Amino acid sequence: MTRRLWDDDERLLEDLAEAVRGTQPLADTIAAQAEGVLSWRTIDEDLLQASLTFDSSLEAVAATRADPGQTRLLVFTSAPLSMELEVNQDEVVGQILPPGPGEIHVETPDGTEYSVSADESGFFELPSLPADAIRLRCDTATGRVVTDWVRL
Amino acid sequence: MEDEISPVTALVAAAAEGDQQAWSELVSRYAPLLVSVIRRFRLTPSETEDVAQTVWLRLVGHLDRLQEPRAMPGWIVTTARREALRYLSSGRRLEPNDPLDPGFQAIAADLEEPDEGLFRAERHEVLLAGLAELPRRQRDLLLLLLEDPRPSYVEITERTGIPAGSIGPTRSRALERLRRSPRVRAYVESAERSELSGGDQHDAATLG
Repeated sequence: MTRRLWDDDERLLEDLAEAVRGTQPLADTIAAQAEGVLSWRTIDEDLLQASLTFDSSLEAVAATRADPGQTRLLVFTSAPLSMELEVNQDEVVGQILPPGPGEIHVETPDGTEYSVSADESGFFELPSLPADAIRLRCDTATGRVVTDWVRL
Repeated sequence: MEDEISPVTALVAAAAEGDQQAWSELVSRYAPLLVSVIRRFRLTPSETEDVAQTVWLRLVGHLDRLQEPRAMPGWIVTTARREALRYLSSGRRLEPNDPLDPGFQAIAADLEEPDEGLFRAERHEVLLAGLAELPRRQRDLLLLLLEDPRPSYVEITERTGIPAGSIGPTRSRALERLRRSPRVRAYVESAERSELSGGDQHDAATLG
């Protein structure tokens, strides 16, 4: 009867040591950097959470290498409001669905934010490709929604 | 009694309510697993930090939907993999895919046989997922025992409050619990199955 993997305490502890040491010191660094992130907790009960439900960059990886010139499409979904983003090189355009005007607040992890307006068709454009992670908070007549965090 | 309870459920619930200390413990528990998952994509340390930040931010948005602690490691692993893939496929990362880049060579020089590297990464992932769920005292003790050089029993008692005579037994219970954690158990069983099917083939060949 062969022994099972990790039946032996010493062997288990040895592998665990290797696993833990392999993540140092980076694990400590990212844990420290996560400290302030809890302040992004959404307390507002009326704010809808729109989850990232489609990202063409993942499809591209599955198929072939992403073509650098290709437009990346991201879809954030919630009921009743969704948001789509298209990234093409340094240009970021988006649309609120169902189409309608609204105010889009672009939030970054360091707390800075700016706003852009969506027109009657729900179209909006960001002034530049954000360097950091962002999430979009959007106020419309239909409701208020915030997207998942995403790095474009 | 403490031995029987994983604090992760309570930590997730408390963090969802805004408890900073619970959040800090949660991230320190799962940071090693997160690093281990992202590492497989060969990102640089600063890229790893970027991906990790996105995962933490996303986690904060999903805390209230993660009350079941068993969902935690799966959620972290899946989200980290997706974010790392996104990072790789985004247009801004051109250099590291270039084999002539010095950074690439440094990483490549580090690689072993691809298969062995993959198995090792997988073993590490399940062990780190199991470690993240251990009761506080057991996890603290294991982490201390892994330190190099290993602290003395006197020091361990000072730092964990575990009496010298209980260190050995606590260590065995911690390791046993690690063995029984869902991901570790699933990994051991699947490794055994693939070994068995390999054995069957061997027997068949011998009999034939």
